[in-house]
Amino acid sequence: MKRHVMGIDFGSTTAKCVILDMKGNIVADSVAHMGAVSGEGVKAAIRDTLDKAGLEQADMGRTVSTGYGRRMLDEADKNYTEITCHARGAVAMVPGARLVIDIGGQDSKVISVDSNGLVAQFAMNDRCAAGTGKFLEVLARAVEIDLESLGDTALEAKEKLKISSMCATFAETEVISLLAEGYAKTDVLGAVHAAIAARTLGLVGRVGKNGPVVMTGGVAKNPAAVKYIQDALGMPLHLPHKPQIAGALGAALLGLDDYRKQTAYVISEEEDMAHEDQMAQDKACIPGCRGTPELVVDPAEAKPAPRKGGLKSILSTLQDNL
Amino acid sequence: MNIATNPMPGKKANKLSATRIAGKLVNDYWEMVWRAKEEGKLICWYEGSAINPFLEAADICWVHGEAYSAMLAARHQEVKAQQVAEERGYMRELCSYARTHLGCAVSNQRLRGDDTGAVPDDDDLTWKLPAPDMIISAYAYCSTGQQWDEMTSRVFGKKVPIFNVSLPWIWGSKPDAGYLKGQEWEETSDYVTRQLNDMVKFIEEQTGKPYPWDRLYEMMADIKRASELRLEAMELCTAQPAPASFFDWVVSIAPINNLPVAGVKNYFETVLDEVKARVAAGEGCVPDEKYRLFFDGIMNWNKVGWLANKFANYDAAVIAGRYTHMAFWQEPGLINPNDPVRGMAQNYLICPNNHASPILIKLIMDLCRKFEVDGMVIHASRTCRAFTNPQFMIAETAQRELGIPSSMFEGDVTDESFYKDEVLNSRVEAMLEAIESRRMSVVA
Repeated sequence: MKRHVMGIDFGSTTAKCVILDMKGNIVADSVAHMGAVSGEGVKAAIRDTLDKAGLEQADMGRTVSTGYGRRMLDEADKNYTEITCHARGAVAMVPGARLVIDIGGQDSKVISVDSNGLVAQFAMNDRCAAGTGKFLEVLARAVEIDLESLGDTALEAKEKLKISSMCATFAETEVISLLAEGYAKTDVLGAVHAAIAARTLGLVGRVGKNGPVVMTGGVAKNPAAVKYIQDALGMPLHLPHKPQIAGALGAALLGLDDYRKQTAYVISEEEDMAHEDQMAQDKACIPGCRGTPELVVDPAEAKPAPRKGGLKSILSTLQDNL
Repeated sequence: MNIATNPMPGKKANKLSATRIAGKLVNDYWEMVWRAKEEGKLICWYEGSAINPFLEAADICWVHGEAYSAMLAARHQEVKAQQVAEERGYMRELCSYARTHLGCAVSNQRLRGDDTGAVPDDDDLTWKLPAPDMIISAYAYCSTGQQWDEMTSRVFGKKVPIFNVSLPWIWGSKPDAGYLKGQEWEETSDYVTRQLNDMVKFIEEQTGKPYPWDRLYEMMADIKRASELRLEAMELCTAQPAPASFFDWVVSIAPINNLPVAGVKNYFETVLDEVKARVAAGEGCVPDEKYRLFFDGIMNWNKVGWLANKFANYDAAVIAGRYTHMAFWQEPGLINPNDPVRGMAQNYLICPNNHASPILIKLIMDLCRKFEVDGMVIHASRTCRAFTNPQFMIAETAQRELGIPSSMFEGDVTDESFYKDEVLNSRVEAMLEAIESRRMSVVA
């Protein structure tokens, strides 16, 4: 029996991979940036994760994929949608979570989870990438700042500005226009993050506000996005240590469930050898037998001796003397 | 490693054979419309409510705007009309039914009316509609409806006589209000009845003849019976597996709603017979019914067969919908064939979107319970906001009252460019996974 499972999140801008052991512990994980359809990023993420774990693809008992490219992976035994996988992964990262906010490269989603950790309802952005990671990438380029420092810069905002556009492209135009009018970069970026929070709040409204709330996806690493969403929501956000891998983790956990079911009555090689050793020691011919027939004690012999002075003892003495 | 798109497995919807008859009826009807002018018939254009029996009885050729746009979309010939409309100045966010139909009106004027010397292509359906001799505007719930008729009038030089029937919104806010009951309902029914009687006078003015009421009575007797047959067949879809799908009922809209009355009773007798036979044989509308779904939203007319097959591929029987089950003479009990006008007015008023949300949502929840659905697919039509407005509330109520998940996708009635396949796939698959995981947790 194999001892590991893999989850792969083949997203729009990054590929994520997670390997779990049979107890559900993360053995290795990786995140790689990628082109839209080349598959190079996902290959890199898978290879990197396998190398970190010192394993090969053949060592995986199950491989489950998710994300927009989920149907394109030969390695995957099964695929599930991001909704199912992100919910599963997020609840594993923050047990008891009832609402998952995931903002990834090209979509943002809000998932309500019932008390059993199952998806109750979900809502996703429909028309454009406004309010997603791609939106932030575009605007980081517009204000000539690198993506990693975008959030920290936005946290320095003092004046409240408004980006009202529903469209990522036109929002970029608005940003450029505000900068041209002389507004500070910090304030403009604050407005960008406020716009993301407003759109997220709209999605939350569609599935119902409920806590605890966990935020996953690459945008969860942006402190300004977290702050503005928390403020808009009026609730704290629980942030996993590695928010980007929630989908891949969920996929791996679904694979683990599946593999455990299939192998519930299959024993591992180590367990099999242990049985062999025990059987040899017991001189047994089938596992579980505790000994050979000649070593078995006759039940009659195992009877306790009659109590001294008792009726059975006197009768026994008389019988012996006759 | 090869990166390649995995082909989808090829399960197909098990469509009702009877729906093929609907296709023939539709073709015959439009052929009749295209040659009506040459046959000397008066032509009336109208949208929305099914006033066609009033026109048919008076031997007036009737052209239902949405029906023509839907027919073009179903034949994938809608794009040219939409481009013509956009050139004329009708923007993309305008109701695509209206935009397509107005494109046809503009094409008609260019190739029939303006005598610009252009040679029409007989296979091009955008110009073939005969120009109207009259327009009747009778649209419940949709503010675009009256503007659409007004725009049509402008395209034809504001020379076409128009009659307007006002169908008020059912507010449902008085203490005695409810579905088909209360003071508001009775007063509104009377108000529309008076207008329909005035409409008949308008028709008499156009034809120059007394209105043939007897013919209307006969037609409404047939429509009442056809509606009863249709509802009986729909009711049988509580069977598991469901013998007919929402998409079969979509294809059956034209016969009940806007085709000549003569064939409608026979059509639904055939449908009912087939549905009964399927129930007896345990035959379903999808090869392997695993999920039962409700469809909220107006139809994507360029995607009917395609969506039917897509859901069949997911082993999902889409059984009922707001569009099919809550419209199109759905209350035959209100129609008295010997005095049908008030019942007709009432059927126009209960266009599903014309109710206040509490009534609308209750009717939808009742259908979901009756057909024992596992989830709800919601089509948010980009250019029909009247249909889309209450959809978040419908989804929220379905979750709260019935505990069923929903998935929403954006598309449109006849403008395919608003439709995104991967968005639909992801959302429907996520919903089916949610249903599946709940089932597994119950078993465990």
